[in-house]
Amino acid sequence: MSRVRIGVLQFPGLNCEDETLRVLAFAGLEASLVRWNEPVSRLAEFAGYVIPGGFSYQDRVRSGCIAAKSALMEALSREVEGGKPVLGICNGAQILVESGLVPGTAPGRVDVAMARNRVPGREGYNACWVHVRAGRQAPCFFTEGLAEPFPVVIGHAEGRFLTRDRELQARLEDPSRRTLFYCTPDGEAATEYPFNPNGSPGALAGLAGLDGQALAFMPHPERAAWLWQVPEDIEGPWGRRRREAAARAGIAGHPGPGLAMIESFRRLQKVESV
Amino acid sequence: MIVPVSRLDDDGLRASLRELSLTLSLEEARKVASMIGRDPTDTELTLFDTMWSEHCSYKSSRRVLKEHLPTEAGNVILGPGEDAGIVRFAEFDGETWAVAVAHESHNHPSQVMPVEGAATGIGGVVRDVYCMGAEVIAVLDPLRFGDPEGEHGARSLEITREVMEGIAMYGNALGVPNLGGDVVFDTCYDDNCLVNVVAVGVLREKDIVRSRVPEEAKREPYDFVLVGKPTDWSGMGGAAFASADLDHAAALDNKGSVQVADPFLKRVLVVANRAVLEFCREKGVAIGFKDLGAGGIACVSSEMADAGGFGIELDLDLAALAEPDLPDRVAACSETQERFALAVPRRISADVLRIYNETYELGSIYEGAGARVIGRVLPPKEGQPRPYRLRRGETMLVDVPVDMITEGIRYDRPSRPRERAPSPRALPLEGREVGETLRALLASAHLCSRRELYQHYDSEVQARTAMKPGNADAGLVVPVPGHSAGLALTVDGNPRLSRIDPYLGGVHAVVEAVRNLVCVGAVPAAITDCLNYGNPEQPEVFWEFEEGVRGIGDACRGIGRLEAEGEPLPVVSGNVSFYNQSSTGRAIAPSPIVSAMGIVADVGRSRSLSLKEAGHLLFRVGAFSPELGGSVLAHLLDPSWRAPVPPVDYPQLRAELRLVLEAYHQGWAHAVHDISEGGTLVAVVEMALGPYGRSRRGARLNLEPFARDHGDFIACFAEAGAFVVEVAAADAEAFEAAASRHGAPCMRLGEVVDDPTIRVEGLEQGTVVLSLSDLARAREGTMPRLLSREES
Repeated sequence: MSRVRIGVLQFPGLNCEDETLRVLAFAGLEASLVRWNEPVSRLAEFAGYVIPGGFSYQDRVRSGCIAAKSALMEALSREVEGGKPVLGICNGAQILVESGLVPGTAPGRVDVAMARNRVPGREGYNACWVHVRAGRQAPCFFTEGLAEPFPVVIGHAEGRFLTRDRELQARLEDPSRRTLFYCTPDGEAATEYPFNPNGSPGALAGLAGLDGQALAFMPHPERAAWLWQVPEDIEGPWGRRRREAAARAGIAGHPGPGLAMIESFRRLQKVESV
Repeated sequence: MIVPVSRLDDDGLRASLRELSLTLSLEEARKVASMIGRDPTDTELTLFDTMWSEHCSYKSSRRVLKEHLPTEAGNVILGPGEDAGIVRFAEFDGETWAVAVAHESHNHPSQVMPVEGAATGIGGVVRDVYCMGAEVIAVLDPLRFGDPEGEHGARSLEITREVMEGIAMYGNALGVPNLGGDVVFDTCYDDNCLVNVVAVGVLREKDIVRSRVPEEAKREPYDFVLVGKPTDWSGMGGAAFASADLDHAAALDNKGSVQVADPFLKRVLVVANRAVLEFCREKGVAIGFKDLGAGGIACVSSEMADAGGFGIELDLDLAALAEPDLPDRVAACSETQERFALAVPRRISADVLRIYNETYELGSIYEGAGARVIGRVLPPKEGQPRPYRLRRGETMLVDVPVDMITEGIRYDRPSRPRERAPSPRALPLEGREVGETLRALLASAHLCSRRELYQHYDSEVQARTAMKPGNADAGLVVPVPGHSAGLALTVDGNPRLSRIDPYLGGVHAVVEAVRNLVCVGAVPAAITDCLNYGNPEQPEVFWEFEEGVRGIGDACRGIGRLEAEGEPLPVVSGNVSFYNQSSTGRAIAPSPIVSAMGIVADVGRSRSLSLKEAGHLLFRVGAFSPELGGSVLAHLLDPSWRAPVPPVDYPQLRAELRLVLEAYHQGWAHAVHDISEGGTLVAVVEMALGPYGRSRRGARLNLEPFARDHGDFIACFAEAGAFVVEVAAADAEAFEAAASRHGAPCMRLGEVVDDPTIRVEGLEQGTVVLSLSDLARAREGTMPRLLSREES
């Protein structure tokens, strides 16, 4: 049985390529880098894609904006519109939003922008652990089976999903239709800092596009994919699991809370073999 | 242009040097002319100005460093001398992995232009590690700023914010996690902040690349390749700038000396370098690889050639220049950032250029960036001097024997002890309460939570982080993914101790760094040091420097390598930063800063510092000693108060370290935190509050034995180094038995309780009960207030 092949897009200035490849391998997938100046036809080789985090093109104009206009992204849009899943992490999420794939209301139309973090008394970059939960009525390839709230890491300066379209904004913030939202350790939707770490409206942490096969996700699942990455002091079951693991040797292969989202790609195997 | 040194009188020569913005003394300029046997060109003078600067030549410090610091041990692969030190880390599947570490200062640039200064501080130190062939996996940043409440408080806070911004801007974009650091606020840094930076990398031992032209260049032709940003004016004279008094008035004129950072170009350069090194490994060719820092092209090329025993010939017309009419000496010596140099066999030069220029399209990333061959290596000829020739087309700019450039100069500085009598007066403790004092300490800039600061830094990029800042006393990373062995990292240095006792200040910097490592269960492997002092030409400053270095050396030998009896803890890299004072002569307190790294076999076994479970016991491991000299309490009550600082007993310290490591090995340790600034009570409160300040577990303590002998304040707030260890009640006897077996002082302090309060019994003031939420408010509120622009 051949493994599912995932393409990891590399734009100049991205800086999470290595660990993205590593976490895909940990999830049992076969992953390769696709460099920004390689022939775009390479994309056809892959069953799904990840756009990793970083600072593509130095965040010039707006974060994600330049990469979104590249030939590689144009080709990726065609693959995704054809039904292949793509996960954009952090800067990758910003690129997906800037390309219009998320929310994907019409081909090429950009509806959402990621605004600078802003909470009372604090602005700018924030790197910390947060809790995130998937909405129950928001179909998305990457959140099927993510019933429980889980801890994960953020590290960004622009993470507020904003749109000028009031109707769309209302839909983004609609509790029942949010794809992924920041929450308290108990799973209640976050209303304020620090549980909502960036002031995102509706505590939105991730937004799906098209029919759910594109996901713009601000947190970094690859930084929470192994149990040893999880702080002991995180509230909830994952912190407890980490504390219990301290009593034994050999933590290296234990999965962490972020792995499930990456493992979603494995479902492509079944689709292929049907 | 020839500078007619031999024909100029002192005034004329002084004027010429000033016109060229050189800091060479008249004697040094004349020495250049007599050494090379003719009047030098302006480029030659500029080159010697850099090479003979304190920053590059260690002309005042070298003798002292050599005398006191142990640099060799069984785990050292490469000690001080190249860009980074290298230490053996672990063996996996028959391959030896190593870690490379560099420690630099960027003090003066950060005082003048904090954002750029701090950013290029990171940018420079990571290049030192990359050029050994390593992947950089962590940076740490010890910072020292002026007193936020003092006369220059607003400026100090502005510098604090901007340095934080610069570190975040560069490190976050480059994609290197920030694994730790510390911040000290003190009025001695009002005119001269300290921005030190540590970078740590990982590589296979067999993949180490040296910063020299390889031996193979005797058997086949080698080219000299320059890659990165096109050379421009920026950073001109940076090394000389770092080696002069920082005069606030002249600071504005020095802005041209601060380099311009570009983490975006650097990130692509790093990815491309990796591909080039991989290509060379596959081809099996030997290369030389070094970063460009102070002194630019002229320095890097002369150092690489001389270190390998070669000569070299370069043509600046072949180099990419940002503007065509860049003056010769600027093109040769400017410190333009984001550049590397390679010595590669001519048969692969074209392949190397193709990787940089086509595969990774450096020219499209930054205008004019790319890789070019700008010269060739000259094999040595028997009995002849090895030439260093730098030309620009037909014009010869530098033509001297290469070893003459790199040899440097030495000074024997006089030293004289500084008088330091203890204060006759007592600390004003009358009428104070322990609870109110504790709140004041926690809310002070010295002890308040640093979370708001380090949350601006990406600590998890690369997905190797097992313990991030705030969760434990040391940061912890997994250098080789897939293997659970971890590398623990920390920095330390307490100017309040050094100001009173510069020798013990050096000692404690090492001791506390080592304690921090052991707190996460790591066995100390090596340290680096950055020695920040005032003007070494002043005998009392030079004495302070000697004392600090002697202290570091003694501590390294006194502690030693725990797993190799008789070997010292090696100092594998470091930096000296003198002239940290303003033109008014106000020097900083002696500020030796130590970074330390240690190794854990399994990161899963390391524990965070926060309290875990009600009913567990809290032990204090370490001898108690009642000194308050240099403590935060003393500083808060009477900043100029002088009294002895705590001494160190090495055999006892080693016993403590072994006990804590055994507690880890046996699974007895549930939380470990070191007692340092703020003393025993502050340490326990920090464990109760945890990294987020919202824990619900408290502690009940009995400090009666200390309070009875020394009074409440010494019992609670004296800073004699020690550990607090949380142990399950069932393991307590075994733990105590191990303590007496090791000979480590160990006593029961109290227990963890399921109640959000700290209860201190046995004080003369009676039992003190404090609510955790109250203490959290005190500790959490200060940093956001200091960093907020609105209020200042």
